Amino acid sequence: MRRAGLAMLSTAMKPRAVAWLLSVLITLPLADSVFRIPIQVSDSLEAIVISTEYPTTSRLLADSIRFSPTTFRPMRFLQTRWLLAAAMSAGLTYNAMFRGVHVLLLVLLVVLFVLAVRVRGQTDLVAFAVALPILIGIHTFVAMLQEAFPVNHYAEVGVCVLAVLVLAQRPPRWFFAPLICLLLALALSVIESGAMVWVMVICCAAAGLRGITRTTVATTTALLAGYFVLRHALDIASPGIGGHGSGFGATFYSSEELAQRFGAHPLGLIAYNVAGGLASLLLSEPRQGVYSLAIAWRDGVVHPILAINLVSSLVTTALLVWYGIRHLRAGRASWSDRDRVFVAASGVMAVNAVLTAAYIKDEIISPGGLCYAVAAFIACAALLETLPRRALAASVAIAALLTLDAALWTFRAAGVQYVLRYAAFKTRNDWVEVLREDKRTDWPQDPRELAVTQRIRDEAIVRRVASPSFMPRWADRWWVE
Amino acid sequence: MAPCVVLAVLGAWWTVAGLWPADDVTLSEAVATRNNAEALRLIRLGTNPNEPFRVRAGLLTSDYEVTVTPVEAAVGAQRADALRMLLANGATIDGNEMRVLRCYEEVRRDSGVRELLGESRAPDCDGVRLPVDRAAR
Repeated sequence: MRRAGLAMLSTAMKPRAVAWLLSVLITLPLADSVFRIPIQVSDSLEAIVISTEYPTTSRLLADSIRFSPTTFRPMRFLQTRWLLAAAMSAGLTYNAMFRGVHVLLLVLLVVLFVLAVRVRGQTDLVAFAVALPILIGIHTFVAMLQEAFPVNHYAEVGVCVLAVLVLAQRPPRWFFAPLICLLLALALSVIESGAMVWVMVICCAAAGLRGITRTTVATTTALLAGYFVLRHALDIASPGIGGHGSGFGATFYSSEELAQRFGAHPLGLIAYNVAGGLASLLLSEPRQGVYSLAIAWRDGVVHPILAINLVSSLVTTALLVWYGIRHLRAGRASWSDRDRVFVAASGVMAVNAVLTAAYIKDEIISPGGLCYAVAAFIACAALLETLPRRALAASVAIAALLTLDAALWTFRAAGVQYVLRYAAFKTRNDWVEVLREDKRTDWPQDPRELAVTQRIRDEAIVRRVASPSFMPRWADRWWVE
Repeated sequence: MAPCVVLAVLGAWWTVAGLWPADDVTLSEAVATRNNAEALRLIRLGTNPNEPFRVRAGLLTSDYEVTVTPVEAAVGAQRADALRMLLANGATIDGNEMRVLRCYEEVRRDSGVRELLGESRAPDCDGVRLPVDRAAR
């Protein structure tokens, strides 16, 4: 009996170990590419400079909540200040500290994904081999890695969202509610998309996942309500149409153009954006609101990347639809644990699309992208389990289709390396335009601001990165949109 | 599983051997490949921005390497930003070189570069050998 138990444990452990090994091998070079991207000029430098200007953290906190009439992001500045101080005390470069944190977020995203899908056997391992490239290859994932502000808030939200999904699948423990409240508070204090943590809590509870208790639902809902009350008290409004540029059809409009065109009657654009946000998750189209398909139709040229993205997403989404119809129609009471995770993940995807009401951006739907990969794992594992019961021809056809899908997603995942190297090259070159020798009159007057800017600029210039001119020429057409 | 395993094996290889390491380039090559940051790093390390350097085939010319100054590379690559950076960091252009550059710009037209080189009249390019002509150097 004991031997049989050990044998079962060993059977389950092997696929799990292989899943971890695959994750490590694929994540390592990704981490290297993320680390090579210097701190950005846009979005990052301003936050760093502001964080150093204040004599105390409490003064920075007090002022940071009123920095913008449409955003409440105090943790953006606080964590920047802490990381600068940590870099100083550890004797690290600013670059090493901020890029190290970004690498840590990447690692956490992958680790939490592996924990969330729970590989249990050989079939799961095969499904995992399809789902891991989906996680990394989906356009919303690279959006969390390319830029930082100077810490990528969307990656932080993604970590919190996946952490809730992992906890929700475990038997409830006393510390789950406070821990999830902490994750929600952290996410809400870095960016508005942090509300997706609460959405995940509600979706998990609605799906009946045992780790989310009524206490967790009540406390997180109270916390979210408190967040809105605080925003209201501080007169912080939500960004409306025209707060950010976004696409419509085949054209990208600036924020001013958007306000002029849709400001008076925004409902049509809001509906377009929400539908577009969901379509972007499910079909990889549109991107930032612009349909490359419409451009291809207009110009009569289809770039390979468009075909690869569309086909891979179409096949995977068809798989999700199949799973939904096949497994969920019996009703909530008869759902398995995996069915419940699938429902929670699908719910998060649908609600996430609503957050794109004012404008569509890949980063905004990044929690949905993580859930897409989780749902794809579950659907793929379920489909693979049906193969022995199917006719040989059908099994071969399904296996071929899944292999094609996996190959396309793997190609997309490999392309992330190229996109990140390209970002490193571009970001490093952006620093040449800062503190220009021929424009010394534009240099900061404040010695502290000048010193910080000079230090980060020097760190960026010294870090050599690959030039796209010496990388494969074909890569632009196949990996860059 | 095969595609994912292939990616994992490639990942291991990329981790050990390094994927797309930074190339060793000359100052002129850095400019020709829009790598202004690398050009600035080389200047800071003491590279003379007025010296000619080798540029491998395929960057400024299709099938043969040339030896050009960084400023000539900036004109050839149609990079006004690089030209401005070089001029701000020690590069100089004398009268004769200016004429060559303006003639080169006539072939590799760029309004930003033309503006930096000054004078809107078309230059007299009779007898001028361009920096990338095979027999120029």
